[in-house]
Amino acid sequence: MKGMKITLLPEYIRIGLITVLFFSGLASQGQSLHAAIVKGKILDSGSNPIPGVIVRIKDSPYTAISSVDGSYQIKNVPKGNFELLLSCMGYQEHSKNVVVDVEEAVVQLDFLLTESTTDLEGVVVQGLSVKSEIETKGFAVEVVETQKAALQSIQTNDLLNRTAGIRVRQNGGIGSRVDYNLNGMSGNSVKIFIDGLSISTYGSSFSLNSIPPALIERIEVYKGVIPAHLADDALGGAINVILKKGVVNNLSASVSYGSFNTLQSNLNAAYRDEATGFTTKVSAFYNSSDNDYEVWGKFVRNILANGRYDYVRAKRFNDAYRSVGGKIDLGYTNVKWADQFFLSYTGSDDYNEIQHGTYMSIPYKGRFGTSQSHVLGLTYLKEDLGIKGLDVNFNGSLSKINEVVTDTVKWNYNWFGERSLGLNGDPILRPSGAQQGAPTMNHIDRNVATFRAGASYEINPNHKLFLGQSYYSMDRDEQDFMKSAVEREFIGTRDLQKSITSLSYELDMLQSKLKGSVFGKYYYQGIDRMNPMLVEENGTTSRVEDRVKSNRNTTGYGAAFSYRLIGPLTILASAEKAVRMPSEGEIFGSPGDNIVENLGIRPEISDNLNLGFILGDFEHRSHTFSFSGTGFIRDTQDKIIQQINPRINDAVQTNPFENLGKTKSIGFEGQVKYTFGNSFRAILNVSKFNSQYNTKFDSNGNVYANYGQQIPNEPFFTINSSMDYTFRDVVKPGSLLRLSHYFGFVDRFYTTWLEIEDFRTPRQYINDIGATYTFPDRKLAVSVDLRNVFDKQVYDNFAVQKPGRALYVKLNYTIGNFR
Amino acid sequence: MLNTNTYRIMFKNFNLSKRLLSLGMAAALVSMGARVQDDDVTPEEEEELEADRWVTLAGAFMGENAGDGNGGTNIYAVSFEDAINPETEIDIFNNGEPVKSNRTARLQVSQDGGTLFNIAYGGENGGEYSKFDIRGGANFVQEDVTVNISQYAGTSPRWSKLYNGDKNGIAVNIANLAANNSEEGNPEEEFKYYRGTATVLDLDLQETLISNYKTYELPLSTEEELAGHAIFRLDAPVLNQAGDKLLIGTWMRKYNPATGERETEWDRLGTKTLVVDYPSLENPTLITSTQADGDCSGYRSNVNQLADDGYIYQATTRNSNGSHILRIGSNNEYDNTYALSLDDALGLTDTYVDAWKYVSNGIGYALIRHGEEDQGYVVRMDLNQKTASIVQGLPDNPDVRFNQFQSFLVSGDDLILPISPLGQDGNIYILHSQTNQVTKGAKLINQPGNHFIGAF
Repeated sequence: MKGMKITLLPEYIRIGLITVLFFSGLASQGQSLHAAIVKGKILDSGSNPIPGVIVRIKDSPYTAISSVDGSYQIKNVPKGNFELLLSCMGYQEHSKNVVVDVEEAVVQLDFLLTESTTDLEGVVVQGLSVKSEIETKGFAVEVVETQKAALQSIQTNDLLNRTAGIRVRQNGGIGSRVDYNLNGMSGNSVKIFIDGLSISTYGSSFSLNSIPPALIERIEVYKGVIPAHLADDALGGAINVILKKGVVNNLSASVSYGSFNTLQSNLNAAYRDEATGFTTKVSAFYNSSDNDYEVWGKFVRNILANGRYDYVRAKRFNDAYRSVGGKIDLGYTNVKWADQFFLSYTGSDDYNEIQHGTYMSIPYKGRFGTSQSHVLGLTYLKEDLGIKGLDVNFNGSLSKINEVVTDTVKWNYNWFGERSLGLNGDPILRPSGAQQGAPTMNHIDRNVATFRAGASYEINPNHKLFLGQSYYSMDRDEQDFMKSAVEREFIGTRDLQKSITSLSYELDMLQSKLKGSVFGKYYYQGIDRMNPMLVEENGTTSRVEDRVKSNRNTTGYGAAFSYRLIGPLTILASAEKAVRMPSEGEIFGSPGDNIVENLGIRPEISDNLNLGFILGDFEHRSHTFSFSGTGFIRDTQDKIIQQINPRINDAVQTNPFENLGKTKSIGFEGQVKYTFGNSFRAILNVSKFNSQYNTKFDSNGNVYANYGQQIPNEPFFTINSSMDYTFRDVVKPGSLLRLSHYFGFVDRFYTTWLEIEDFRTPRQYINDIGATYTFPDRKLAVSVDLRNVFDKQVYDNFAVQKPGRALYVKLNYTIGNFR
Repeated sequence: MLNTNTYRIMFKNFNLSKRLLSLGMAAALVSMGARVQDDDVTPEEEEELEADRWVTLAGAFMGENAGDGNGGTNIYAVSFEDAINPETEIDIFNNGEPVKSNRTARLQVSQDGGTLFNIAYGGENGGEYSKFDIRGGANFVQEDVTVNISQYAGTSPRWSKLYNGDKNGIAVNIANLAANNSEEGNPEEEFKYYRGTATVLDLDLQETLISNYKTYELPLSTEEELAGHAIFRLDAPVLNQAGDKLLIGTWMRKYNPATGERETEWDRLGTKTLVVDYPSLENPTLITSTQADGDCSGYRSNVNQLADDGYIYQATTRNSNGSHILRIGSNNEYDNTYALSLDDALGLTDTYVDAWKYVSNGIGYALIRHGEEDQGYVVRMDLNQKTASIVQGLPDNPDVRFNQFQSFLVSGDDLILPISPLGQDGNIYILHSQTNQVTKGAKLINQPGNHFIGAF
């Protein structure tokens, strides 16, 4: 920053709403490069930095995107005259002619952009820009945009479900249990983060079920290979939800109402005092739904007293969901000592009725869960701390999470919500005492402490080092009030600590043609188990606590590279030796199920490889095409399984969990994007994989018949298509009408190892349409969404029907940039 | 080879005489020396099987682990003639018909071998009873009426067909075993008992409907309950010879009343059997053996069997000193003068009966393992002499397992069962109860990780 600064007069373009303040200068300190560097900061009219602005040199591959502090940098710029183009959501596009006449120069160009009031389509541009920055780092990553969806009645899980390679599997309507499948890996192989912290920090009430897209900046989905800064033992991938940051003054609110008495509303406000940098951000949501949608077909039947079936169409009657939550951030942004410093409180509460278990063939009444969480957080972010190129961040939180599962209703119910009557006219007791199992009022209390800290140092523009540390600790207490007081005294506790240290080296070479990173991770996990016991000594019995600690550690490593081969073609490759630490149950076994402990159990390891390309954009007149594709392998070794024990019916203890399984998933996904001007956009993605049983030989050296067989109950072939068309000046000049259509296809799959038609899901075709009308003042937008247009039976999970046709109306109100 | 030919000649002779005998059941019973009995209740099958009787073989696929049987069940039917013919090769896993059941199906067969009864175990259709007409090979035609017993007995019910002319099946369940758990109980009060709610359900196999059910608490003695003993599970119902009582096996557990934890080792009570009136299902009473302390619930096959001498013989498991054979007389009480200890009779320790079958004239066969080994053996038992010996001439391989074995066939004095080491080819074997001879029948083609679970 030692260059001389020259201020030019603001330059008015078109309607004259853009002010450009640009600084230029020459660095007195030359870099050891043969070409120039163009860098600078981009600010709005309130001197706030604008992140996510695409800065590119016209007709060249040189591109940069401004970071959180508004700074950008284009390296290795050759000598000559060129035009610099800037584009960003909410701001008008801007261009500037620049002359670089000295080699090895550093050209400082700062810009001041003024907000656009006409080009809401700019929303798309910003989404894409951050998206493309992340997506060209070499990882197999998908960045999900939320801006447009935020105006519609679409849940966060729906957005994820429309993304290539992700299958969201929800056990019913809004609020019901969700499992994520990433390229054939699911369950606890896929970890979810909110702003880089594990979602278990927040509890189930603040989850992808409850957080509306309007509060989310973007969602990054890393498949198989996870960058060093997102530290967890995520074997198959990670979903990182980035909440909106409150650096720009705004207020927005929306409310949506529709079928099944579904109400979804949210509020988001941010205020920054320019003089002091004091920043406040408040966001809140409230969702509720009866989820009383109609179900029918072969899984929906009332069982008569004599056991015969009576197939019915019925409305779900025990599936209501309500969640409320909010977050307050208080702190400073873009001040001398911090780019961001926030103290935050996140509170949330939910109530979730459970209509059925794994299959909907038996309806439940009165089973429900509630959860509350209180989370205190601290965020600190500073670039160039003390020395130039040293960036630090810290993110920490303390949380208290309470969950209660209640299931005390002891009678059988039919699909009309009535008690089933037996042959003698009496109600029939549930076969295990309550709706799902034994009667329970189980209170689970967790105290969680999470932090992650990272520091990166840019040795020079080509080389960067990153060191990260994350720590997670959780202690859990459980009290089932359906158990006797004595029994409750003898419930054990489990404390878990996990820490992950990661080190990465990033490079950016050959005029940004080659970007990449190499990283290593060190995982540590400790579990304390305390089981109360009765000990007899000198004739008296006393309660003692039997404590055992099990620690393990392991290392993983990986790399991700992207190389811009020719023109628009970029090749991406990434690989990681990924790790999943064994769970408490897998280590300590379960005395109740006769499973003995295995303190020597090792983590699951998976060799994950992605190889992909990005091709585009190809522009021809107003038509723009781009293509991308990725092939992947997930080769999992040491999978934790429990071998069959021929003495399962014996009283003696049985086999522990062992590292004996092997699975392999091979597949590909591809995406085509097409835009016509800024009115039509279409995205088509296809994902197909073969997730197979990979244990080859039995003890006699013979090949298992299911070696290479598709693992059951995984949707392995999906197609998603999204299209939207924007009409301008409808009814009133300056308004926008956006029509959208979504189509999803899920191929049939077997749900059990036995490949028979009865255990195979149907092929599914899902159509949603929507219309969003934005009024000329851009403050009010109204949307209407018609989901599952053809009222098809839709299933994420076998024998669990999802909602049929549903209509929602949503009002959005935004005041941008108030002062 | 010679053996086989001899057998086939014998078979033909038997077959001829069988046809004459089959003119009337009474004649058959007289010829077996059984006492006169109620028409409805025949002791275990004791007639010679017809050459064209269908023999349905069942095999369990592996799920994720070899031998777990969680991959489903295939069935395949051949004629009895073919089943006992060593020239026959049967490939159940490639050529058979899958049974609609998430996990291993719980199958039963009609006495004539022509109808298969299944109750799906677990999954979306758990508890669903269905009937299949056996047409040979993989051709099983399902009757379109089904009935679901899951509301009464759960989606993973334990059930057994009664030997009363394929009229009824009995399913049993114990729900919600918990402390002070009765209508007027209170878990917050001082501990009194662990008790669940028992259900006994009568399924009409012919009409395909539930014909009766009863629920009750099954209290033990106050002392036993205060110590934490409880009936954890019911299984293996059998009808007595008079046809007026059901005898149902129990699986006992003990909790530590001071902690609520399940105990893994404890001083066991005497083996208990539940007796209820039939067909009313009323008047539940528990009878207790003084001769053994194991459970008499069996696992995948019925361990309580009515013999041609009118006694119900039962095999115990989890017995403190190895499995025993006990018997219950026609007065529906334990014959506490009788017990066959397999440990003593075989000179082994910790024998464990996975399944057993009464054949005729006091001879039965048990599938056992012993000590720490998992290997399965076949044991011939003389219930009258209280002796037992391991049958020789069968596969002697550490991978032979019988833990999921469901069904044997009896033809006259012969026991027919499939045996193979886990994941390896095997055979149908014919064990001649009176001569202790072993004959090989059809060859069974296996696949790695899979096993055969019975002949029906």
